[in-house]
Amino acid sequence: MDMTIFSNLALGFGVALTPINLLYCLIGVLLGTLIGVLPGIGPVATIAMLLPVTFSLSPITALIMLAGIYYGAQYGGSTSAILVNLPGESSSVVTCLDGYQMARQGRAGVALATAAMGSFFAGCVATLIVAMFAPPLAEVALKFGPSEYFSLMVLGLVAAVVLAHGSVLKAVAMVLLGLLLGLVGTDVNSGVLRFAFGISELADGIGFVTVAMGLFGIAEIISNLELKDEREVFTNKVTNMWPTKEDWKRMWKPILRGTFLGSALGILPGGGALLASFGAYTLEKKVSKYGHEFGKGAIEGVAAPEAANNAGAQTSFIPLLTLGIPSNAVMALMIGAMMIQGIAPGPQVMTEKPQLFWGMIASMWVGNLMLVVLNLPMIGLWIKLLTVPYRILYPSIVVFMAIGVYSLSNNPFDVLLMMIFGLLGYIFVKLECEPAPLLLGFILGPLMEENLRRAMLLSRGDPIVFFTKPISAGFLIASIVLLIILLLPNIRKKREEAFVEG
Amino acid sequence: MKRLVVLLAMLVHAAGANAQWPAKPVRLICPYPGGPVDISSRVIAQQLQEALGQPVLVETKPGAGGVIAADYVAKSPGDGYTLLMGAIATHAINPALMPNLPYDPIRDFRHVALVVQVPNVLIVNSDLPAKNVGELIALAKSRPGKLDFGSGSTGSTGHLAGELFKQMTGTYMVHIPYKASAPAVLDLMSGRLHLIFDNLASSLPNIKAGKVRALAVTTAKRTNFLPQLPTLDESGLKGFNMTTWWGVMVPAKTPNEVVNRLSTEIVRALETPDIRERMLAMGSETPSVRTPEAFSAFIESEKALYAKLVKVSGAKPD
Repeated sequence: MDMTIFSNLALGFGVALTPINLLYCLIGVLLGTLIGVLPGIGPVATIAMLLPVTFSLSPITALIMLAGIYYGAQYGGSTSAILVNLPGESSSVVTCLDGYQMARQGRAGVALATAAMGSFFAGCVATLIVAMFAPPLAEVALKFGPSEYFSLMVLGLVAAVVLAHGSVLKAVAMVLLGLLLGLVGTDVNSGVLRFAFGISELADGIGFVTVAMGLFGIAEIISNLELKDEREVFTNKVTNMWPTKEDWKRMWKPILRGTFLGSALGILPGGGALLASFGAYTLEKKVSKYGHEFGKGAIEGVAAPEAANNAGAQTSFIPLLTLGIPSNAVMALMIGAMMIQGIAPGPQVMTEKPQLFWGMIASMWVGNLMLVVLNLPMIGLWIKLLTVPYRILYPSIVVFMAIGVYSLSNNPFDVLLMMIFGLLGYIFVKLECEPAPLLLGFILGPLMEENLRRAMLLSRGDPIVFFTKPISAGFLIASIVLLIILLLPNIRKKREEAFVEG
Repeated sequence: MKRLVVLLAMLVHAAGANAQWPAKPVRLICPYPGGPVDISSRVIAQQLQEALGQPVLVETKPGAGGVIAADYVAKSPGDGYTLLMGAIATHAINPALMPNLPYDPIRDFRHVALVVQVPNVLIVNSDLPAKNVGELIALAKSRPGKLDFGSGSTGSTGHLAGELFKQMTGTYMVHIPYKASAPAVLDLMSGRLHLIFDNLASSLPNIKAGKVRALAVTTAKRTNFLPQLPTLDESGLKGFNMTTWWGVMVPAKTPNEVVNRLSTEIVRALETPDIRERMLAMGSETPSVRTPEAFSAFIESEKALYAKLVKVSGAKPD
């Protein structure tokens, strides 16, 4: 690193801090927060709808606003996850696990503040990472081929079992169920439809948001309705709005770890913010000395994934800006927005359009600052939302969810599917099965299959390839180590039991 | 007599109602959200809105490779208020690929105007020793079954172009399907794949930056974007001509006036310098197909071409 980074950032801030760019950045993050809070209505639909508006703007202003919507949505998604157990964005699914439990304990304010601070810190660090390392990091993305992805997924799946608290058997069963659900849709290799039963809506598989909203949101509402007389009124026991000294002490390390894990996974075109939040949660649960509190309202369980998904959202701009490769649908739209403005996204953007490249990076930091300034004072307002009686709150949540799911592909079929998954989720609540491992299996299953088969096609059927590539081999060894750690106590316990019986 | 007058009056009124089209917002259904089809739909919608004086709303209905959107429009009333951004997949490839297609791409539609037509290019990893198509063929022949070509999906233009290439040159290469073309291009850059037939617009920046090497363009004529790049036809693959395209279509029952009005407005919009520039930025030169009749004829010929190609490729999901 040399001094050019400072002159580059100065150039960037010069662009980002012009009044017009500040205004559109604000509009972007405000809109993003709003659609993030509303369950299901995602940044893809919003950005697509706003595209024609951007035609009249200068390219940099347009991109600043669109990027603002994207990371604003990551931010807003956590609010509804914490308050009403609804993942507003797919990447905030993990935040539901502990964030909602904190809200139930009267610590919604603390959870929201933690999410905001974690996201802001992660956003700052990730922005710096993008600024300093974008070109070399792009090379890392190139090193990830099918075999590397497959082995990374194996590690993720093994970690999924660790993610669950309670019965390992149930966790494994849920992962397997998730894998099976992930099989629905068109087979990438042959183009054959699997488990679609002649329904063309199932040809592209079951939507992740649909499943997550059903399993978390609808199931939560159904199981709450069951408690006729003893409904939870957790607003009465709001203890404190702000994190205490103890909270700060517990959250800074998870935020730091979440930030770095999130930044790393965000660079991978196949990874992104979603894997980042799952990964950070799993990691935290393993290393934290409060591991037993996870799933019961551990502040680490909010801090780490929130930091990770925001960092991941930020660094996923690296493959876009340096290689012209979109890592998700939002990035694909950004490429479209750039092309229509006459800018071909790719390696030459950085050298040919330095104002655009560095202006966008600087605007990310500005946008993150705006988000934290906007959101911290709003925490009190959001908490008030919890005092709304359930007879009004629940129907409105269901309506918003139905609108959100419908808007994914403008198809009523998805609403029906969400309801079915809601009922399934209710059954899981009754059986005390965790939906999180199912979701991870559901996400990773199809990706794993795709990459496994592609790697095997490329190696002409030779499985040794997973061990001869160093990155891939590293992930596989890590998975084996993790499995041994997982199994050891059980082995010991079994032995002891055998001894007692003997 | 009185009755006849009333009847005539009603007819005149009905015609008047048609002349008044559009009297309410028009919807343009787009099967592929978040990509160039979505973006160009919005560009065209904005122009139509100004020309027609009614809101033109883009509504995305993704799924099943465009079948859901095309089927939805095929079964919508032919009143000019539901338009489809139909594409090569929905109207030329799917009919050959999918045995139970719920709509007929010719009989269920009126084809209004071709909007975008983009050439594909044959690009190879920049370390591959082949510097032109002839050398690539020689390389493939010397290493049968050793070269890999990627594509955005089974049955995509990229896949079918590769199969046609194999058939015409008598070479054998392995097809590696992806879920989209972006990850395939990434694997091409890193050397895991050897060649791809990719859309010109998305590969142009990487060609210019030297990250991949272009060997030929798949159209019959050279493209203005890379005038020095030969066509496959010039390179010995006589008659090789493939493009990726999409355009506006309406349900079969839509009256002539509406079809003609839409066609006129879209063709006019495509000729305005502003829109032309935007379309050029996406790699599309103004299409030469300019009337509904010519568009229908074009789709018929494309459908016939891909019926043949799909058979050649052996891709046949049941």
